[in-house]
Amino acid sequence: MPESLIEASQLCVRRPGGLVLDNVSLALNERDFITLIGPNGAGKSVLLRHLLKLETPDSGSVTHRQGLRIGYVPERFQIDPTMPMPVERFLSLNNRLSARQIEELAAETHCDSLLDRPLAALSGGELQRVLLARALTSEPQVLMLDEPAQNLDVSGQLQFYKLIDALYEKRQLSVLMVSHDLHMVMNSTRQVVCLYHHICCSGAPESVARDPEFIQMFGDEMAQMMAVYQHSHAHDHTHDHDHAHLHEIKP
Amino acid sequence: MMAPTLITMLALALLAGPLGCFVVWRRMAYFGDGLAHSALLGVAIGLIAGISNQIGMILMAIAFASTLLWLRAQRLLATDTLLGILAHAALSLGVVAMALLGFEDAEVHDYLLGSLENISRDSLLYVVLGCGVSLGLLMRLWPGLLLMTSSEELAHAEGVPIRVYEFLLMCLLGIVVAAAVQIVGILLITSLLIIPASTARLIAGNPETMAIGGSIIAALCMLSGLPLAAAFALPLGPAIVTLTVALFLIVLSARLIAQRLRLIN
Repeated sequence: MPESLIEASQLCVRRPGGLVLDNVSLALNERDFITLIGPNGAGKSVLLRHLLKLETPDSGSVTHRQGLRIGYVPERFQIDPTMPMPVERFLSLNNRLSARQIEELAAETHCDSLLDRPLAALSGGELQRVLLARALTSEPQVLMLDEPAQNLDVSGQLQFYKLIDALYEKRQLSVLMVSHDLHMVMNSTRQVVCLYHHICCSGAPESVARDPEFIQMFGDEMAQMMAVYQHSHAHDHTHDHDHAHLHEIKP
Repeated sequence: MMAPTLITMLALALLAGPLGCFVVWRRMAYFGDGLAHSALLGVAIGLIAGISNQIGMILMAIAFASTLLWLRAQRLLATDTLLGILAHAALSLGVVAMALLGFEDAEVHDYLLGSLENISRDSLLYVVLGCGVSLGLLMRLWPGLLLMTSSEELAHAEGVPIRVYEFLLMCLLGIVVAAAVQIVGILLITSLLIIPASTARLIAGNPETMAIGGSIIAALCMLSGLPLAAAFALPLGPAIVTLTVALFLIVLSARLIAQRLRLIN
């Protein structure tokens, strides 16, 4: 068993309102594609920030594999409009990428036509692609995205998720993503982790959709919808309900 | 000899351009004001401790920034409120201390609005040295500062020590304040940072041109403000700031007209 890229063990995070993360353990291995779901205020972003080591937990630990590079797409990004910042300059900030490398990166993330535009003038979808390009500037092994498609329309969401899929395959990445778009998440046979302060359930979408805790959280209707999605789309039903341990699931 | 004054102005302009940009981008105008208000207390402390004015002001600025950051981390009051308390506390204490130390009102007035009195060679050394070191530091921090100004979270995730950078930026502003007190005076220091940078913003397409543009505008206004103030017996600070405002209005009108004529977007 190779060493995990990121391993969180027994994370507890306390905030004035109570425990935000309650004994959360999670491992991200090579080529994993984990989607973190859960209701608002469940602690998804907090977990992501701890996995990035941006914050220190009250107890528990996060270990990164030696030399790990993570590309991060934050949930909120709003540049002050008084800052004149063309996309090309933004992508070259604080790194040593050549103009050529920037162009290649932009082409890969469909930002080629945006390079001369000011960051403050981009649409939601354009900005997300630029942030994705920015996350890739460090040649990361892991891509972490916090609700990357929340401000996009449905076709924009679809395109963005397709782009992440393509990057996942082409760059042999591991991906950890927080998402609200249940229909998109459940429609793919990947690992889903359902968080509500603690990890309620995890595994392949179809098994998560059948989990009592998931049904309780998202309602019967949603769970049934997920099940329908799965039955009409999934080709691989070998994975049974998997509660505590996350292992690699074949696409 | 006017040479020390001219050199001080040029050194100051070099720093005021890029630092003014950060004041504009990061909405630190009120912070700059508060920092400037604390300068008078710095002068008093310098006098009591027997060190130079400039060192007193820089130490005071660092103390001001540290106190603010510490109080902000306690999350008890809004930063805005904390700044208001600190700024006015420092200003009042400064004026009281100056009075107790036997300063005349006219001298305090000079600190508040700048004066034409020749800058001594002694203080020139501090100013040039301080501005030189600051400029070097600023160039080193520049990419990280730009990134954290675009997104604090991204910069943090990419390993920029954002709290250290923020503190260093505040210290750099403290150095500008110390250098600028003699020229434009405590009350108008923030305008020397904000107005040239804002004028440059109207024509700049990237952060670097905005910073350099700000420096050039600040230098032009200070260098032409000096003979103007001398010729018409005007207070130096207000004369300089009036020039920066005039230039701002000219560039703003030009830009608006160009937009109307659809020469630019």
